[in-house]
Amino acid sequence: MSEALLEVEKLSAGYGDARVLDDVSFRLDQGGSLALLGRNGMGKTTLLTSLIGLTRRHGGRIRLAGRDLTAVPTHRRALAGLGWVPQERDIFPSLTVEENLTAIATGGAWTLDRVYDLFPRLMERRSNMGNQLSGGEQQMLAIARALMLDPKVLLLDEPMEGLAPLIVQELFRIIQRMIERDGLAVILVEQHAHQILPLTRDAMILERGRVVYSGDSRRLIDEPALLDRWLGVGAVELDDGTSA
Amino acid sequence: MKAIDIIRNEHRALAAVLRALEATIADLRDGRRPPDFRLLAAMIDYIVRVPEEVHHPKEDGVFFPHIRAACPDAVPIIDELEHQHHRGREHVLQLAMSLIHFQAVGAAAQESFCAAAERYVAFSWTHIEMEERQLLPLLSDRLAPAAWAEIDAAFAANADPWRGTADEFERLFSRITALVPAPLGLGDRRSGLASRIT
Ligand SMILES: Nc1ncnc2c1ncn2[C@@H]1O[C@H](COP(=O)(O)OP(=O)(O)OP(=O)(O)O)[C@@H](O)[C@H]1O
Ligand SMILES: [Fe+2]
Ligand SMILES: [Fe+2]
Ligand SMILES: [Mg+2]
Repeated sequence: MSEALLEVEKLSAGYGDARVLDDVSFRLDQGGSLALLGRNGMGKTTLLTSLIGLTRRHGGRIRLAGRDLTAVPTHRRALAGLGWVPQERDIFPSLTVEENLTAIATGGAWTLDRVYDLFPRLMERRSNMGNQLSGGEQQMLAIARALMLDPKVLLLDEPMEGLAPLIVQELFRIIQRMIERDGLAVILVEQHAHQILPLTRDAMILERGRVVYSGDSRRLIDEPALLDRWLGVGAVELDDGTSA
Repeated sequence: MKAIDIIRNEHRALAAVLRALEATIADLRDGRRPPDFRLLAAMIDYIVRVPEEVHHPKEDGVFFPHIRAACPDAVPIIDELEHQHHRGREHVLQLAMSLIHFQAVGAAAQESFCAAAERYVAFSWTHIEMEERQLLPLLSDRLAPAAWAEIDAAFAANADPWRGTADEFERLFSRITALVPAPLGLGDRRSGLASRIT
């Protein structure tokens, strides 16, 4: 088997003494994509924040591109290639869109032009201040910023949360382009399971911090009973996104 | 993506534009915003042309014939859906005319445009929901893997001619998203008109 881009082995982690994640193992290959699913409070965010080192690790290892990240401090994990887009969008309100992007440019493969190509709306808004942006634009900027750090793996935590259907659909298409056209490795936490599963290769379901499904995304689409059992979303939701 | 994912994806994109159009009509009626004709034209263009040029051809040309052959009990549903595809064309013409009329005549023609748009939106919802709730669930249980494989292959083989238009419609979708005022879209929320491109 070729070497995994990201390899997580028996990771247990939580907050203080409380263990939230228990024995989580998975791997993500170059160009791979993983849908991370689970009901509220099951540990999805905790898994992402554990990857970037924001929780207390009780055991297990994390390797990225052959490098052991377990002992690498949080601020260095972003430079090591883990691009994190948090559930709360935190962009700098007093910088323009373009300043938000260029302040952190690393001179890597994701140039300003390439990011604007993916998010034409941000180019239109490039001289607007961060605090003049709508929620959807802020989410675009949060993703664009993570790309400017030239990540090996992009970690997206419910990027569509609280956004209207039109913006949700627009973001889905952008994420699809990142996965299919740019070959970016992505881990995506998402409530809209039915929409994201056709885009991702693999899927993992967490239930109280443990992995209860790990395998093909396709299988979850084809066997709705599985999804229903773990997520209670057997029926396809047509009208997605929270109408604001 | 598999054929069924593509169909569902197109339904969702269409549903999002239909929702945005409903909200825009409500704003017009309440006098909350002046009409933004660029936005109205882009939305009407989308909900009319995507079904006619991209979506229905896949359903009529590939999806439905296979289902007819494989699932005799789905035939009444298919008949009705095909009938609706044909009727859609009359609605489309009416809708386009009423928008042109609205733009030319102004406020006096607003209500007849809103009513025509609402009729088309209601018609589209009924149609999409019938496919999503009655047809697709039936198929997942009933259509044999071999039939699915043929449908997927037909979609894949025809991807190219459709992709060209699909790209055009993706750009149109992005444009609509940029023009619809926040928080429903990304446009400027105060003026109700599209934000200026800086
Ligand atoms: N900072 C924290 N301190 C203590 N406990 C926490 C903290 N953050 C989360 N938890 C707990 O950890 C568990 C997992 O939470 P987590 O946020 O990872 O879930 P989630 O799957 O992301 O849920 P959601 O879908 O609501 O975002 C929950 O029981 C939660 O209460
Ligand atoms: Fe149809
Ligand atoms: Fe359809
Ligand atoms: Mg979370």
